[in-house]
Amino acid sequence: MQTHQYDVVIVGAGGAGMRAALEASKDARTAVISKLYPTRSHTGAAQGGMCAALANVEEDNWEWHTFDTVKGGDYLVDQDAAEIMAKEAIDAVLDLERMGLPFNRTPEGKIDQRRFGGHTRNHGEAAVRRACYAADRTGHMILQTLYQNCVKQDVEFYNEFYVLDLLTDHDLTTEELEDGAEVNATGVVAYDLATGEIHVFQAKAIVFATGGAGKIFKTTSNAHTLTGDGMALAYRRGLPLEDMEFFQFHPTGLAGLGILLSEAARGEGGILRNGEGERFMERYAPTIKDLAPRDIVARSMANEVREGRGAGPNKDYVLLDLTHLEPAHIDAKLPDITEFARTYLGVEPYTEPVPVYPTAHYAMGGVPTNVDGEVLRDSHNVVKGLYAAGEVACVSVHGSNRLGTNSLLDINVFGKRSGRSAAAYAKTVAQHKPLPENPAERVVQQLEEMRGRPDGERVADIRKALQETMDANAQVFRTGESLNTALSDIRELQKRYKNVSVQDKGKLFNTDLLEAIELGFLLDIAEVTVLAAINRKESRGGHYREDYPQRDDANYMQHTMAYRRPTSASDVADGHIEGYFDHVEEFDGYKVVLGSKPVTQTRYEPMERKY
Amino acid sequence: MTAVAENTRADAGTQTDDAPGAVASFEVTLKIRRYNPESEHGENVIWDEFTVQAHGTDRVLDALHKIKWEQDGSLTFRRSCAHGICGSDAMRINGRNRLACKTLLKDVNPDKPITVEPIKGLPVVKDLVVDMEPFFASYREIMPFLITSGNEPSRERIQSQADRDRFDDTTKCILCAACTSSCPVFWTDGQYFGPAAIVNAHRFIFDSRDEGAQQRLEILNDKEGVWRCRTTFNCTEACPRGIQVTKAIQEVKRAMITRAF
Amino acid sequence: MTTTPSAQVIPSPRDPYARRKTTRGNYELYSWVFMRASGVLLIVLIFGHLFVNLMVGEGVHRIDFAFVGGKWTSPFWQVWDLLMLWLAMFHGTNGVRTIINDYASRDLTRGILKTLLYLAFVITVALGTLVIFTFEPCPANADPALLASICFE
Repeated sequence: MQTHQYDVVIVGAGGAGMRAALEASKDARTAVISKLYPTRSHTGAAQGGMCAALANVEEDNWEWHTFDTVKGGDYLVDQDAAEIMAKEAIDAVLDLERMGLPFNRTPEGKIDQRRFGGHTRNHGEAAVRRACYAADRTGHMILQTLYQNCVKQDVEFYNEFYVLDLLTDHDLTTEELEDGAEVNATGVVAYDLATGEIHVFQAKAIVFATGGAGKIFKTTSNAHTLTGDGMALAYRRGLPLEDMEFFQFHPTGLAGLGILLSEAARGEGGILRNGEGERFMERYAPTIKDLAPRDIVARSMANEVREGRGAGPNKDYVLLDLTHLEPAHIDAKLPDITEFARTYLGVEPYTEPVPVYPTAHYAMGGVPTNVDGEVLRDSHNVVKGLYAAGEVACVSVHGSNRLGTNSLLDINVFGKRSGRSAAAYAKTVAQHKPLPENPAERVVQQLEEMRGRPDGERVADIRKALQETMDANAQVFRTGESLNTALSDIRELQKRYKNVSVQDKGKLFNTDLLEAIELGFLLDIAEVTVLAAINRKESRGGHYREDYPQRDDANYMQHTMAYRRPTSASDVADGHIEGYFDHVEEFDGYKVVLGSKPVTQTRYEPMERKY
Repeated sequence: MTAVAENTRADAGTQTDDAPGAVASFEVTLKIRRYNPESEHGENVIWDEFTVQAHGTDRVLDALHKIKWEQDGSLTFRRSCAHGICGSDAMRINGRNRLACKTLLKDVNPDKPITVEPIKGLPVVKDLVVDMEPFFASYREIMPFLITSGNEPSRERIQSQADRDRFDDTTKCILCAACTSSCPVFWTDGQYFGPAAIVNAHRFIFDSRDEGAQQRLEILNDKEGVWRCRTTFNCTEACPRGIQVTKAIQEVKRAMITRAF
Repeated sequence: MTTTPSAQVIPSPRDPYARRKTTRGNYELYSWVFMRASGVLLIVLIFGHLFVNLMVGEGVHRIDFAFVGGKWTSPFWQVWDLLMLWLAMFHGTNGVRTIINDYASRDLTRGILKTLLYLAFVITVALGTLVIFTFEPCPANADPALLASICFE
C-alpha cells in the first residue's frame, strides 16, 4: 500500500474533473485520479453544443437562458444556481475558446450558435440560437481542449486508478451529529488497475467528478464505465443523494442500441415522424414541436409506439427524418451522427429516415452541493473539504429535467467553481486532517472477499437482470406497481450479489474484479432511484408516474434527499434528517431514509409547463 | 496489412429480423492472442479460440463482452463508450487496426475465425491491453495546446470559417493509437513520434490562432520526427475517424521545407 | 498504515517513459530533400547516359574500350559520369541507411550494418572518382585496334 499527500485530489478526469483541475492546480498541489485515461471520458460523447447567451447570431440574454433552464427543469431547479450558470455560461464558452477549442464560426468569424431543445427567446416565444458548437463533436472538442490544457499546465494524473472509498473523520451513518458540527473529508482510497495495488490519497480537499450512472439501464447512451461510482461511495459513507428519481431519457438513441444521435439533428431541421409518416410532435408541443425539452419528446415518442403508431416491422421505434436537408449541410453540421447511423444500422441518412428510440442518458440527481460545489451532508450542512461537480453532483441546476447542452455548461461552470473553491479551502488548512486507522481496510476486505470467493453468481447475469428490470419498470413511463416490481427485483439481485464471484483471481489489470465492484455501485444507485421514484407520487420532468400524471406542487415541490443508515442506527440519527417526506424503508441490515430539501425560488413562480 | 473486409451484409430489404438492417443470428469464432504473466502460461503468448452466438448488428466488442461475461472472465481488454468516440478499444482485428466497437462482425468475414490481437509496437500488459504511456508521452512532447502571446482578448478570438476548416480533419483525433501502432516504422523501436503525435501537432500548426508552429516544427524536425514517415498509408487506413493522417504528415513536412528554404 | 494485503508487489508496467535522446536538426530534412532532388537529376543523367551509350549510332555494339576511353577524354562526359557516380552513391547509401534505420531494431546491428554501408560507399566513390580522372585512354604498348581514334590524332 502506498500513501500520497496532496492539497487537492480530484476524482474523475472528464469535463468537470479536468476543468476543476485547471483551476485547482494553479494554486494548490493537485492530483487527478481517473479510472480511465482522461481522453476516454464520456464528456467526449456529447455532441450538440454548449449554450450561452453570447448573442452572436441573434438577440439573447442570460435571463432568458435562466428562465428556460428553470422551466425545462419543471421548476424543481434551484433558481439561484441556474442564474449563476446562465450568467457564467458566457465566460465558460469564451474561456474554452481562448484555451483553443475550435468552435464553428459565423461569417464574421465569431463563435457560431444553433438552436437546441427548450432554449427559447423571451420566455418561450420561439426557439433561439444559443448553442455554441463544433460540428456534432462539441463534447469531444471540450474534452480534448481541457486535456490539452492540463498537459500545458502539467497537471498530475493517476490514470486507471479506481477510487473505491471516501474517507471522512466522522462516520455519518451512525454518529449523532449536531447541526453545524464540523465533518471533514480526509482522503480517498484507490486501486491501481495495472498492478492491483492499493493507494491511499490524503488530501485537504477532494473533488468528486465521477460522472453518471447510466449503466443501471439496458438501453443507454452512457459508456460501460458509467457506473455511478462517486454517487455510491458518498451514499455508502452516509451522505445523501438528491433527486435520484429524475433520470433523463434522450429521445434520439439509435433504435435497439441506444447510441446517441444529438438533439442538434433536430436543431438543424431534422423532424421526428411516426410509422404513418406524421410529424407527431406538432400534437404534443405545438409551438416548438421537435425542439421541445427532452422529457416531453421522449414521452411523446414512447407514447406513439405504445399506441401502435411506431415504425418498423415491430412498430417499436419512430423515425428521425433528415432526408429533406442538403447532404452538404448534414456533412458540415452532423458528420458523426450520420456515420453512426451508417456504421451501426446500415441506414443512409441522406435518403432514409433513421430509426430512433429514447435512451437512458443523464442523471439529474446526484451528490447534493451548493453553488460553490461544496457537498452537503443534509439539507444545509456541508462536509468540509468535499466538493462535487458534473453529473455526479446535483446543484441543482437541472431540476427534474435537464435541457440539452446544459450538461456541458454544468461541467464547465461548476467544475471551475468547485476547483477554485477546493484550492481556496485547501490553502486555509494548515495541516492534513489525520486519516482513520487502517484507511484501506474496507476496500481491501471487499476486494479480498470478492477475489477469494471460489464460485458463485456471475457479474454479467446480475447486471443484465438489473438493467432489464430498470428498462422495463423504471423508464419513461412509471407506475407504483412497476416501480415496486423493480424494487423487489433489485432486492433479489442484491441478495445474489452477496454471492458474486469473479473468474480472474489475479492482481494485474483485473477488469473482471472491477466490474464486480462496479455492479455493487449500480445496485445501490438503482435502489435509490427506484425508492425515490416510488416516493414521488407526482409527474414532473423526467419522472412520469402514470398513476399520478399531474405535477403536485403542494406536496412535492421539494428535492428528495436519500440517506442510507444501518438499521441499528438510532432514530435520533434519523432525527436530524430534515424531512418533508419522512419515509423510511428498512432492508437487510440497513434502511433508506428519504428526507427533503427546499427548492430555492428567486424570480420565477411555478407555472404550467407548455411548449 | 492486407486483411479483407468482406461485406457479407444481406440486403436489408429482405430482412425479417426486428432490428433494421440486421442479419439473423449466427455463430462466430474469435481467435484471441492471450498474454498473462500471472497465469499458468507465464510469459508465453497463447492463442485462445472462443465461439459465441452473435446478431446482425453485433460488433467485435459485443463478441468480446460475451466471451468475458459468459465464458472467460479473465479475458482482458479496454473499452468504455462503445461507439467509437473514446478510443479505448483499438486492436488488431484480422490483421488490421480497428476499434472493436466500430467493427461489425458481419463486416470482417465471420465465416472464418476472426483473429484479435493487441495493437503492435507498444508493450503488452495483459491480453489485449497495452501500455499506452509511450504513446501519450510522444503526444505530450509536441506541445498539444494553443500557444499565444500578448493579452487575452475580452471576447473570443476571431477566426474565419475557412481558417477553422483548415485544420478540421485533425481535430477529430481520439488518441486511440490505431494509426501509430499500424506504422511499420513505429514497430521497429518505438522511438518514432508516430502519426498520432504529428496529427495533433498539425491540428495546432495550421490553427490560425496559434503562434507556436515554429516550436512544434522544431520538435518534429527530429531524426525520429516527420522524416521517418515512409508514406505507407497504413495510418490513414487504420484511422477509425477517417482522418487523412498521411496527408497531414505530408503537410507538416511541407511546412518544414518552406520554413528551411 | 500497515495493511499490506499481499507481500507480492508487481512492479508498475508504466515505468516513466522517455525518448532516448532528442535528435533535432536539419540533417534529416536536407537528406529528405536531397533524395527527391537527386532522384530527379539521376533520372536525367542515367537516361542521358543510356541514350548515348545504347541508342545513338550503332548502339550497344559500339561499346568497347575505345568507346569508353574516347568519352572520358571529354571533360563533359567526365563531369557527367562523376555526377552520376556521386549522386547515385549518395542517393543509394542514404536509401539503404533509411532502410537499416527502419528495420534494424537493435543499436548494435544498426551500427554494424551502417559501418559496412559507409565503408562500401567510401571505397566505391574513391575508386570511381580516381578512375574517371586518371583514366589513360591511350596506354602505351596497347593493341592499336582497341584504342580510340583520338590516340592517333
